[in-house]
Amino acid sequence: MDANRLEEFRTQLSRLFPAGRLLTSATQVASYESDGLTAFRDRPDAVVLVESADEVVDTVRLCHQYGVPFVARGSGTSLSGGSLPIPGGVVIALNRLNRLLDYHPSHGTIVVEPGFVNQHVSKHAAQDRLYYAPDPSSGPVCTIGGNVAFNSGGAHCLKYGMTANHVLGMKVVLPDGEVVHLGGQSLEMAGPDLTGMFVGSEGLFGIALEVTLRLLPQPERYHTVLAAYDTLPKAGDAVAMVVASGLLPGAMEIMDNLAIEASEAAVHAGYPLEAAGVLLVELEGPEEEVAAEIPLLEKVIGESNAYEVRVAQNETERMTIWKGRKCAFSAVGRLSPDYIVQDGVVPRTRLREALDEIQRLSRKFDLRVANVFHAGDGNLHPLILYDGRIQGQLEQAEQLAGEILKMCIRFGGSITGEHGIGVEKIDFLPQMYGELEMQLMKRVRLSVDPSQLANRGKMLEVSAGKTDHKHTPHPLEQAGIISRA
Amino acid sequence: MLHTIPVEQLGPRGTSMSEAVSSCVHCGFCLPDCPTYRVLGEEMDSPRGRIFLMKDALEEKLPLAEVLPYIDRCLGCVGCVTACPSGVEYGDLITSFRAWSNEQRRRTIASRVLRTLVLKSLPYPGRFRIGVKIGQFAKPFRRLLPSRLRAMLDLLPDTLPKPAPLPEFFPAIGKRRARVALLAGCAQQVLSPQINWATLRVLARNGVEVVIPRNQQCCGALAAHTGAMSQAVTHARHNLGVFPSDVDAIITNAAGCGSGMREYGLWFQGQAEEVAAKEMADRVQDISEFLVQLGTIDAPPLSAPMKVAYHEACHLVHAQGVSDQPKKLLNSIPNLELVYVPEGQICCGSAGAYNIEQPSIAHQLGTEKAQSILATGAVAVAAGNIGCMTQIAVHLKLLGHQLPVYHTVELLDRSYSSLE
Amino acid sequence: MQYVTSTEQLAELVRSQARVRVAGGGTKSATSRLANVSLSRLSGVLQYDPEEYTFTALAGTRLEEIDRLLRSKSQYLPFDPPLIEAGATLGGTVAAGLSGSGRLRYGGVRDFLLGARLVTGLGETVTTGSKVVKNAAGLDFPKLMVGSLGKFGVMTELTFKVFPAPQSCATIVLDTEHLAQAVEIMKSLAISQLDLACLDMDSSRRIWARVAGIREAVELRAQRVLQLAGGRGTILTDQQDADTWQACREFRWVPDEHSLIKVVITPDRIAPLIAALENLPYRISVGGHLAWLAWPRLRSSQELDQILHKLGCPAVALMGEWPSPWIGDHQENVFEQRLVMALDPNNKFSLSQPAGA
Repeated sequence: MDANRLEEFRTQLSRLFPAGRLLTSATQVASYESDGLTAFRDRPDAVVLVESADEVVDTVRLCHQYGVPFVARGSGTSLSGGSLPIPGGVVIALNRLNRLLDYHPSHGTIVVEPGFVNQHVSKHAAQDRLYYAPDPSSGPVCTIGGNVAFNSGGAHCLKYGMTANHVLGMKVVLPDGEVVHLGGQSLEMAGPDLTGMFVGSEGLFGIALEVTLRLLPQPERYHTVLAAYDTLPKAGDAVAMVVASGLLPGAMEIMDNLAIEASEAAVHAGYPLEAAGVLLVELEGPEEEVAAEIPLLEKVIGESNAYEVRVAQNETERMTIWKGRKCAFSAVGRLSPDYIVQDGVVPRTRLREALDEIQRLSRKFDLRVANVFHAGDGNLHPLILYDGRIQGQLEQAEQLAGEILKMCIRFGGSITGEHGIGVEKIDFLPQMYGELEMQLMKRVRLSVDPSQLANRGKMLEVSAGKTDHKHTPHPLEQAGIISRA
Repeated sequence: MLHTIPVEQLGPRGTSMSEAVSSCVHCGFCLPDCPTYRVLGEEMDSPRGRIFLMKDALEEKLPLAEVLPYIDRCLGCVGCVTACPSGVEYGDLITSFRAWSNEQRRRTIASRVLRTLVLKSLPYPGRFRIGVKIGQFAKPFRRLLPSRLRAMLDLLPDTLPKPAPLPEFFPAIGKRRARVALLAGCAQQVLSPQINWATLRVLARNGVEVVIPRNQQCCGALAAHTGAMSQAVTHARHNLGVFPSDVDAIITNAAGCGSGMREYGLWFQGQAEEVAAKEMADRVQDISEFLVQLGTIDAPPLSAPMKVAYHEACHLVHAQGVSDQPKKLLNSIPNLELVYVPEGQICCGSAGAYNIEQPSIAHQLGTEKAQSILATGAVAVAAGNIGCMTQIAVHLKLLGHQLPVYHTVELLDRSYSSLE
Repeated sequence: MQYVTSTEQLAELVRSQARVRVAGGGTKSATSRLANVSLSRLSGVLQYDPEEYTFTALAGTRLEEIDRLLRSKSQYLPFDPPLIEAGATLGGTVAAGLSGSGRLRYGGVRDFLLGARLVTGLGETVTTGSKVVKNAAGLDFPKLMVGSLGKFGVMTELTFKVFPAPQSCATIVLDTEHLAQAVEIMKSLAISQLDLACLDMDSSRRIWARVAGIREAVELRAQRVLQLAGGRGTILTDQQDADTWQACREFRWVPDEHSLIKVVITPDRIAPLIAALENLPYRISVGGHLAWLAWPRLRSSQELDQILHKLGCPAVALMGEWPSPWIGDHQENVFEQRLVMALDPNNKFSLSQPAGA
């Protein structure tokens, strides 16, 4: 964009936001240049701190008018670079757009703005013994808007699904500034599931302004078990045994020895430090149902050869056990100057194979890998430890990470269970999906956002249109189907 | 986080700063517990953002002058350290950074005058007393004064208690179970001398004899946390010389002092006194910590039931990890119903001299804290720090409520007063 | 009517014809009557891994076959699809977005569809979603397929997540005095911690609640539901319980010469909807988030359309003749239009034109 037009854009932007909420200097925008994926850093032209949905819409429209790419940001906790700024673009910070708009306990629904913090939803609904099920580990910090963009998961996905399964409707602004309503306030839908299509689209389809979420009744009772194993495969096998028994736990998590070590140093949850692996299983439901399930679980765990089994005796103990698990990623910062966290999925029956392969790769690349994972749904989180100060180690770590993703593809799994593609896995999406599928996704994206302004450079490679003065018509344009007017 | 901080050029501080930056994984778990992020809602005023900015400033990627306003706004409450799963020693980072940047920054004349006023009066009880009297005199003219001076005046009480100089020695009652030294504090001696006296009596009742070194000075925390490192070190060095080593513990009853003294090892990094400083720091305990460890006598009931809200001073809970002990002590007093303040992990806005340096943010935090306290329905407040006590009392008053604010040890003293 | 037996065959038809409208089992006549291509012979389970909780089947596979297969391994479809006996297919169920009363507990059809192989309006065959239970890669085309009546593409293979089947079920039937009372009871049961599998209300304001799980626990929980609702009612178990929900699933309460309509509501709409219907047969389901109506064939479609519009409820007509099966408060928005432009630019799948030869 030529200098005059850019100046015009900036002037217009300054009319929408007072100085305190329009950040442009290097110092002001510096802390927005990264999110949870610290290896990447890019400088935006401006960061705007919005306080109303209208401001979001106005900003998007202005960006569209001038062809300036933009990205929305909640708390910047994305692990795949989802809120990484686009160089020369605008960051639309939504953390202040955080009001509760409507709360309907008798319907089991709540409507919030995108900056509303994930855990605050459950906090608010607790007064009616309701809660919001999707529980990513960053729950105390991350925002619903971010959860929507990436279809965030958490430990309780096995039984209750991911964010998409709990979003009933939204009001969104499309990349050209058009505001549309998707879905509604009901658990059911008539017509295409556009809400489901928007959730997980990583910001490529625009920005959510209002989100209607489903609330569930709080489980009456939890039964939380921590079982310790002297080999990691035994822990994996235990999961298979639980599944075979017909039980459907709320969560099943495994952590290996390195992860336990890190977590204990941070949280002191009392995890057994010598265990090769621990399995966390949680039953939940009505009192009588859980009481009937406990003997079944005990039998299975008994047969699984755990050398130690602990049961949480009260809510405090339960929260402590979970804290140990949920802080694991960040705690790994104590073991190593740097790390890459991966997010692959393999069929659950191939978990043991996958762990063996990861161990093999770890030896091959001579880098330690800590493993934390949602064993119930085969979602692995290998944490590849490295020291960026040592020449070449970052590259080695990335290679190892790549090998793990290729393994997931080979096993018929997925390259991401919940962190999304962002910038991190752009190269791997075309390995998981074929040429036709990639083209279809790009076509859909271009149809909704011909100028590729919404979170440009994420998820799908940027095709013609990266620099806006290179005006090569896209095939859809040539067909007269879309136009860049 | 990867960084290119020129550690070798920064001396011993360089190591603590770079280690803190290295261990940060940018996860953002610190954001919800950061008072300034809650009030200001922007990344630069969060621990995660400040770490990033400090890193960039040390790497000379950003001009120090532009970074400093965000660093200045940090309360130093280290609530982020409690929340951080990665073990980032943010307290060490910010103290070191403030010391480093102090040597290089240019302050405005107004700022320098204010700092001098605070640093040259507060740590010296004699001068402070005079200063308060002048301040009280100036109160009617507050509107004519610049906002920061006004903020200072607003914190002053209407009347000053009479001076109550402390003895050099206070004996145990009954069998002697321990021997300690007391840091008397500075502002505390002027504003609320009764806290120290209550401390002495409570210790005596529990069989502890107390040595109060006559020539002790301010612990230096105030100076250190605002970057005036050389003044801090001067005070600390002096105290290293006057505090005895034949004591079971060095007792502090102001959270700010306790957290400061526990940093002595950091302040003397790379210097001759480093070992002695660390040894002294290791012997420092908050009064509540010490009493619970020792085991206290049974507390008689208060003369009438009282519902008390316990406020967690950030320099006690976050900086020193002392949280259970004061609650245990208060819970042990019959007729005292203890309630906890919602969002207790968030600072009240006092944080050293924060309410003077950043009056607007401090005011917002103080108001929110006062509202949280009022929501508990308590009729009185207990806390372990003179700064918090002042801040809370002022803000309760502004909301139209004049609840009495006590030091934890004062309530114990009151309970013991019915013993012969 | 052309019958396809492979994906390639379907793709070829899409490429060569101007219009392709698909039918499965013909159970949702409001849409299948427009069809010129049948998938009923594109049938068969391709992969089933009970340990993985997943299966993949061709779109024309009858639900009956799948249900039988899953039950043989003590598993089931948690979204409780209707019209199993009537011959509904997997693909048709997804396209119509239909879930049954049992969806209350764990979710509807959209929450269990993991992957779909589909043919776009350009005749391309793409494999979307995944075969594993958790996937956040790429765009969620499987979700887009749900409820879209084939307007974006035709599914040929579908991968689903399943759950272990409950050991035992019990139904609690509650009689109520008047509508307001029934609605109150429904609302409080819906958000109770009793973990209900189903929560319906029929035209005589009788509430039908169902619990599922381990036998001993189910007995106790059924008692609790009864108590919570004031104690007036009966508990059905075993065959009686099974028969009740089978009848419900097959819509036996819908009289002849009536069209079945699915209406999306929220609990606060129950009373106004029933008032507007004036004695027509209905069934409220999913704790008050869904209503099934029986609309007499002789009455005009505009009339129902207006009623639903006024109530702000979107609906889908499943049987009968309608200008468009989407009635009530529907609006094709810009987002939808852009998706159609990318997936079916030549409008081969459009519902609004009659099927050509």
